[in-house]
Amino acid sequence: MQSRKLGWLLLAPTLIVLFLFGVVPFVYVVYVSFHDWNPFAANPDMVFSGANNFRRAVFDAGFLASLGVTVAFVFFAVLSELVIGYALAQAFMKDFPGKAFFRTIHTLPLIMAPIIVGSIWKLMTTPSIGIIPSLLDSWFGYDMNIGQSAATAFVITVIMDIWHWTPLVTLTLIAALVSLPPDPFEQAQIDGANKRQIFWHITLPMIAPAVVATVFIRLMDALRTVDEVLMLTGGGPGSATRYVGVHIFKEVFPRTNYGYGSAVSVIVLYLTIVVCWLLYVSMLAPRNSKKG
Amino acid sequence: MSEKIETIVEPIDILEDDEAPAPVAKAGFLPIETNWFDRLFISVVIWVALSLFWFRFIEPLGPSIWISNAIALALAVLIISKG
Repeated sequence: MQSRKLGWLLLAPTLIVLFLFGVVPFVYVVYVSFHDWNPFAANPDMVFSGANNFRRAVFDAGFLASLGVTVAFVFFAVLSELVIGYALAQAFMKDFPGKAFFRTIHTLPLIMAPIIVGSIWKLMTTPSIGIIPSLLDSWFGYDMNIGQSAATAFVITVIMDIWHWTPLVTLTLIAALVSLPPDPFEQAQIDGANKRQIFWHITLPMIAPAVVATVFIRLMDALRTVDEVLMLTGGGPGSATRYVGVHIFKEVFPRTNYGYGSAVSVIVLYLTIVVCWLLYVSMLAPRNSKKG
Repeated sequence: MSEKIETIVEPIDILEDDEAPAPVAKAGFLPIETNWFDRLFISVVIWVALSLFWFRFIEPLGPSIWISNAIALALAVLIISKG
């Protein structure tokens, strides 16, 4: 009994912080989402509006379009980060000259603030001064302009996200690969398994929890991308890169539409939780034994 | 020394007697093992999805959102009790 009380006592500071900075803001956003609230209007009071903000959201073409481009962005970015991150993790598992140097260099994007990443890519992709349009023009005669081409802007935001976040995937997968016991691999090699079979039947099942955790983190991050994209493209051209985070930002701050912005935030949070939960169920959740 | 060994008549129980019981996994009609909190979570997920679907496609035809809430509540009772 004594140790149980001590356990709660030691956990209390963390639980209090989590409650204050996690639960309270969440409950407040849900509360605001059921109100019309513009604190800078002539009437700055919250007016209860029931579920009207949610009704408006499901008919908002701008929001639904932003959901579509966000899904495409998340799919291409997270999948690419996983594949490239795994390849880099496997590369860093082998010894080669300058390994420590390259491993340090490749984690540098991680320590940069997203707004800085957006600024760097803005400079690199601006026509006439950026290195990327210049090289593409001189090598392939391709006239790159992210301010005019929706597809190019989308692709550049995906590449920027991959550049920024692949090191995180690499680091977590390196940690997972290092912790694997050597015995199953040696036994598989003795039994004559090839590299592909070892990957699909031994490596992947054993690192699956780490892969799922990494995908969770990246999925949640990618779904709420705002600052990088806002800096690089401002959500344009048109609405080509107006991801949900950017949509919420533009709804809440320039338009000061706090109630509707909160409702859209709650829907995005709901979708994030559902996607992560489905991923967990499909990959890790124990099956019901009665169903065979 | 031998006296000390003889005095230990029962195995030492390192577990607390008053520990909270582990969540009971249940085999219902859902394809995964769930405890009551999982089933409550699934019910809330279905309630929100049904409400948003209702707002978009059913409510413009007339039926009130309260019908959706009643369906979601019935589903929640079913999932939590037999899921």
